[in-house]
Amino acid sequence: MPPYQAINQAAGLIIPEIILLATVCVMFLAGPFLVSETGKAPAGLRHRWGILSLLALGAAMFAWTKAPILEAGAGPFRPDEFVWFVRGVSLVCGMLLTLVLWDQIDDGHAAEAHACLLAILAGVNFVALSNDLVGIFLGLELVSIPTYILLFLARRDWMTHEATIKYFLLSIFSSAFVLYGLSWVFGIAGTTNLTAITEKISAASATTNLGMFRLAMVLIIGGLSFRLTAVPFHFYAPDVFQGVTPSSAAMLSFVPKVVGFTALLRLLPVCFGEANFTDWMPVGAVRVVLMVLAILTMFVGNLLALRQTSLMRLLAYSSIAHAGYMLVGLTVGNSSAGTSGVAALLFYLAMYGIMTIGLFALISAAGTFTRPLRSLADLSGLSKSQPAIALMMAVCLIGLSGLPPTGGFLAKLNLFLAAWSEGTTDGRILAITLAVNAVIAATYYLRLISVMYFEQSTVVLETSRQPAAWIAGCLCAIATLALFLMPQPLWNAAVHALSHS
Amino acid sequence: MSEDLQQIVLWLIPAAPLVAAIVTAVLGPKLLRYKSHLPCWSALAVSFVCSLILLLKILPSVEQAAPPEEVGVAISQTATGPQVIASGFEWFNVGSLHANIELRADSITAIMLTMVTGVSLLVAMFGSGYMSHDPGYPRFFAAVSLFVFSMCMLVLSGSFILLFVFWEAVGLCSYLLIGFWFQKPSAAAAAKKAFVVNRIGDFGLIMGIFLIWKHFGSLDFVTVLGNAARIAEVDAQNPGVIQLICFCLFLGAMGKSAQFPLQVWLPDAMEGPTPVSALIHAATMVTAGVYLVARCTPLFVMAPHAQMAVSGIGAATAAIAALIALTQTDLKRVLAYSTVSQLGFMFMALGCGAASAELVTPAVTAGMFHLFTHAFFKALLFLAAGSVMHAMGDVIDMRRFSGLKHALPITHWTFLVGAAALAGVPLLAGFWSKDDILAVLQEASRSETHGLYFGVIRVIAIGAAFLTAFYTFRAYFMTFWGPEKFPEEAGHHPHEVTPIMAWPLRTLAVCAAGIGLLVGPTHLFGDYLQKTMGLTPEHEHHLHWGVMLMSSIIAVAGIGFAWMFYVASPTIPAAIARTMKPFYVISQGKFFLDEIFMGLIVFPLLGIAKLATLVDKYFIDGIVDTVGKVPKALSIIPRQLHGGVVSSYASVMWVGVVTAVVLVLTMF
Repeated sequence: MPPYQAINQAAGLIIPEIILLATVCVMFLAGPFLVSETGKAPAGLRHRWGILSLLALGAAMFAWTKAPILEAGAGPFRPDEFVWFVRGVSLVCGMLLTLVLWDQIDDGHAAEAHACLLAILAGVNFVALSNDLVGIFLGLELVSIPTYILLFLARRDWMTHEATIKYFLLSIFSSAFVLYGLSWVFGIAGTTNLTAITEKISAASATTNLGMFRLAMVLIIGGLSFRLTAVPFHFYAPDVFQGVTPSSAAMLSFVPKVVGFTALLRLLPVCFGEANFTDWMPVGAVRVVLMVLAILTMFVGNLLALRQTSLMRLLAYSSIAHAGYMLVGLTVGNSSAGTSGVAALLFYLAMYGIMTIGLFALISAAGTFTRPLRSLADLSGLSKSQPAIALMMAVCLIGLSGLPPTGGFLAKLNLFLAAWSEGTTDGRILAITLAVNAVIAATYYLRLISVMYFEQSTVVLETSRQPAAWIAGCLCAIATLALFLMPQPLWNAAVHALSHS
Repeated sequence: MSEDLQQIVLWLIPAAPLVAAIVTAVLGPKLLRYKSHLPCWSALAVSFVCSLILLLKILPSVEQAAPPEEVGVAISQTATGPQVIASGFEWFNVGSLHANIELRADSITAIMLTMVTGVSLLVAMFGSGYMSHDPGYPRFFAAVSLFVFSMCMLVLSGSFILLFVFWEAVGLCSYLLIGFWFQKPSAAAAAKKAFVVNRIGDFGLIMGIFLIWKHFGSLDFVTVLGNAARIAEVDAQNPGVIQLICFCLFLGAMGKSAQFPLQVWLPDAMEGPTPVSALIHAATMVTAGVYLVARCTPLFVMAPHAQMAVSGIGAATAAIAALIALTQTDLKRVLAYSTVSQLGFMFMALGCGAASAELVTPAVTAGMFHLFTHAFFKALLFLAAGSVMHAMGDVIDMRRFSGLKHALPITHWTFLVGAAALAGVPLLAGFWSKDDILAVLQEASRSETHGLYFGVIRVIAIGAAFLTAFYTFRAYFMTFWGPEKFPEEAGHHPHEVTPIMAWPLRTLAVCAAGIGLLVGPTHLFGDYLQKTMGLTPEHEHHLHWGVMLMSSIIAVAGIGFAWMFYVASPTIPAAIARTMKPFYVISQGKFFLDEIFMGLIVFPLLGIAKLATLVDKYFIDGIVDTVGKVPKALSIIPRQLHGGVVSSYASVMWVGVVTAVVLVLTMF
């Protein structure tokens, strides 16, 4: 096959990503010309960039529905059912994040900020799409590098600077782990193509030194745990969440988790010599590592969240704890008995995205650009001053705590069932830990609700109209309730994602 | 009618009131205000029309069409031929967890739906006039819409669990509406009492549902009730378990349908607005217990002892409530006790299946028929009482007004029709249904095994029927006859109802007069109902001339005594009250059941509660507080690591990876 034909064929598989990246180029190129040299932009410019961003996402979504679903081959991309699911999640959450970002950026920097967000989403998709170690790493970096810029652009005061620098340093540190792990895999297999690696490993698993694979996998898990905010790689999260704008925090609470779990679900089965994760479950040492990671993450996240008085730090720890719940699903894997842990993980991931983005959207809608909600005290009396926002926030919080009637309840129930129905002692321990942590978590989520509804307002906050964020929060709150009433389509999608990949 | 359209009609019945409830709750206080009745009216009209379509068009056509069996998804039809339309969607199927939500409409459902939506539409119209100056106007209509939604879902439920959910939901609506004027301490207390007493019944219901789940492995009506062989098998494997299930279910029915000794909440529930009393506490919600027992007929057939208990409790309730109603002076309370008594009649009939298997279907038919006719004339009586109350400035004590027939002509005539129907005056609605009950009891008393038992119950029923006629007309004569007298609250000229209140009264009066004759002796009702699962269609129809004659005499006698006591020579009641003082006091004091409950149950429970509070406060709280400190204490350790220094974060990450690497390389 001539090279141009191969490129042509490969390009046909990534049309949604091409649309996103083309829009990114347009924004980066055209953006500076619309801003004067002193940095002043015509008022309302951000709306145009927001609309362009939404249009690009809509076009990408259309392309997503038309995109072919193929089995993995020797080529650089493998657009299978799993990619279909990840693309869906990233595009939907991308739309919501665009709405949240809308009024959280000044006119002068809107182009670059929206471009960064689109690039991040394209990166998420590339991680799922890549059939190559190099491709996966590039995808991961396509997420990381725009993230640094996005965090920095959104607001420029010393707190944001410090948060961005922290995130930047620790992120590249973690990337080094991932890269080191990937190079071990390359060293053992002698190729970077995932299909080829799988074949080599499954053929040679009897004779290969398994210790090297364990080392590689542990390095990859360690590096990616930074993105998942798994303990002990979570330290940056509270500091960074506190320093950045609510829109950036919304992005950080969800997108890195998507990309982290996507990469793990792509790489771990390969290292076990499995072509896909339909029948894959972690065994041996890797399972122990994942299980310890899950239990530590749940407990540390929830226990530390209990003591927080800063709203953003509290939500950072809550985000850590949710990573722990999802790790339970990964640890269980696709065991043949009982409910699929990976499907439960994917269901939880989507559900968590809706609830957390909704919560951050409402937090940004309740405050102003210059003075966002910071402490728990800022929430007091919100039910009086902004009843609609308080109500929707309560819905999202109930969802995050995993109580009915929200989709969050079913998401936790799935993970619990997956762990419990495995029938092993490990599974039971995980299930019970999950349940205990859900109870601990309920204390601080319900405390937030009680602050909103039962405490007198102590601070007078300015409010500003942020219709975009309000709409995003409203959509998320409705979806949180709707997915309790009609959860089956999402579950079917999660099961479909595992079907043939 | 296409299947899709049928499904839409089925879903519209509960959906329309739900939408109205949400719209009224959201927009009511700010936007709709005194137009809040509009969403409620239109939704109830939609529901009513859909129910009629279901009743008259869809179900008969299902029977004829007989499509292939496809349970749970589309229209289903089993070989035995009960006509059913079902519509469901899978709510959540994950691994071994299967949870579906299914609406299921058969004959009994269609009848209940038509009755519920029709009566509630009329009551909602009346309510817009009655509540017209109340500041809680939107709240009232939101709650009524929510109630109709819950009640429709209750009768549409295709499984016990869904039934239970909406059983609780109608209880909640009842609580909200009894306590509608929550500023009044008596209303708040009555709402609480209703809720708590109902909990006792709900406990029975949930235990029954657990037992069904344990022994049948399913809560679906088709699986549990639709297969007689399976029930017999369960009964053979676990002797007595069906009896137990039926007793538990009946306990639930006793709570909701105010049967002795759980009837104490219903008279107090009259604290709510009168339209609510008419709708929830007379016509619809309180009959849910009757519906439950009728629905579970296939189970009750296997449990003769439970059936006898149903009849016995029904008879006791009918008699006690009728005796109490004799001396009450509050017009609404008379009607409330009469409701309790009539519900007792329905249960009396339902239990007659114990006498012989052939009697099961006539028994259920008679009970359900009385439920159906009762809904119309009791709603009418309550609405008429409401219009009396409206005219008298919220005074409802019959000693304080009299001779209203000239001042309130519409109210007078409609009340008279309702009272005559309740008393069982020939050809009116109550006559036919009460007649059916007495006929079934007569048949049952001829049974060889339980003849004596049902004989006694029959005598009680005849006595209660006489008392019914008497106390109903006592209330009528005291209110509308005699010298014209108004309380001061009414002002000088009591005003007759506005047209919006008069038309529902007239419509209900026509129904109360004619509906019995229309569907009773023609067997329209019986033939329709008997297509329900668990009933066998009867082919022989005969009128019970002897019973009819007897009940006519009883009704006329009751009315005659009432006329003699309260119109012809009004000194008699006082004389009787003097000579039979103890009986009078017992009746006046409602058999002192409230006081007995207080002494036997409430005070001991309060004592236990006090003790438990002390233990909780000083013992349990101590433990919980200590446990609660553990997480906070634990969190101090990792907090030290979160100092904000990047290099320390990085080193912890590094240590983490190295630890994991060492662990993995050495452990395996």
